[in-house]
Amino acid sequence: MLGYDEPLVDSLPRGTVDSFAGTGNPFSFGDLRPGETVLDIGCGAGFDTLIASRQVGPSGRVIAVDMTPAMLEKTAAGARELGLANVDCRQGLAEELPVDDESVDVVISNGVINLCPDKVAVMKGVLRVLKPGGRFQIADIIVHKEVPQGAKDDIDLWSG
Amino acid sequence: MLEHVGFTDVRWGPQVDVFSGSKHESDAKEFDTRGVTFAGIKPSSEGASRTNN
Ligand SMILES: C[S@@+](CC[C@H](N)C(=O)[O-])C[C@H]1O[C@@H](n2cnc3c(N)ncnc32)[C@H](O)[C@@H]1O
Repeated sequence: MLGYDEPLVDSLPRGTVDSFAGTGNPFSFGDLRPGETVLDIGCGAGFDTLIASRQVGPSGRVIAVDMTPAMLEKTAAGARELGLANVDCRQGLAEELPVDDESVDVVISNGVINLCPDKVAVMKGVLRVLKPGGRFQIADIIVHKEVPQGAKDDIDLWSG
Repeated sequence: MLEHVGFTDVRWGPQVDVFSGSKHESDAKEFDTRGVTFAGIKPSSEGASRTNN
């Protein structure tokens, strides 16, 4: 599935996997390091959050941000099920990240920024929260042709 | 845009057809929609970023 290791996917809670809505694999640029602080923007049900949580280990931390409380609850439930105590769920917008300046080593995100009208604001926020020398690893979708307003207004095309 | 915001070492992974087999496959094809991965770094020294405004 999208380049994720199958045994890794199988080790995640069923509900987390079933609700996965990512468009790629942010870890394709490399795994995270133990002890790192990670921010997952638009964590959804927490698929990547849980993978990141295991990679950074107990000395690291994953801040999982989503605007939808129901998705944050799924992420928290998944972390509880796996006994992961280093996941910090926060409600907020990608455009106004509820995260301190220069406090994060790595920002990950999967299938979210295409949904954000102000992509420059999102990436400026990523720059703000990253420590100097910190990195982002993002999976998303892009369109190569202009999408007409009628398609943009079709709510069915925004969801899976 | 990413360099303009202030990132360096911006890298793009291969583009993939993520909607193949989904119910929106034909819409995705119509707008030439692709899955992408990209990565970048926040410069460690102040002067290394181009602009942040
Ligand atoms: C397509 S899902 C991807 C979820 C998750 N990253 C995954 O891979 O399964 C998009 C998620 O981003 C959240 N989202 C969309 N726009 C957002 C925004 N502007 N700020 C914060 N969260 C947002 C939605 O609530 C949803 O959980």
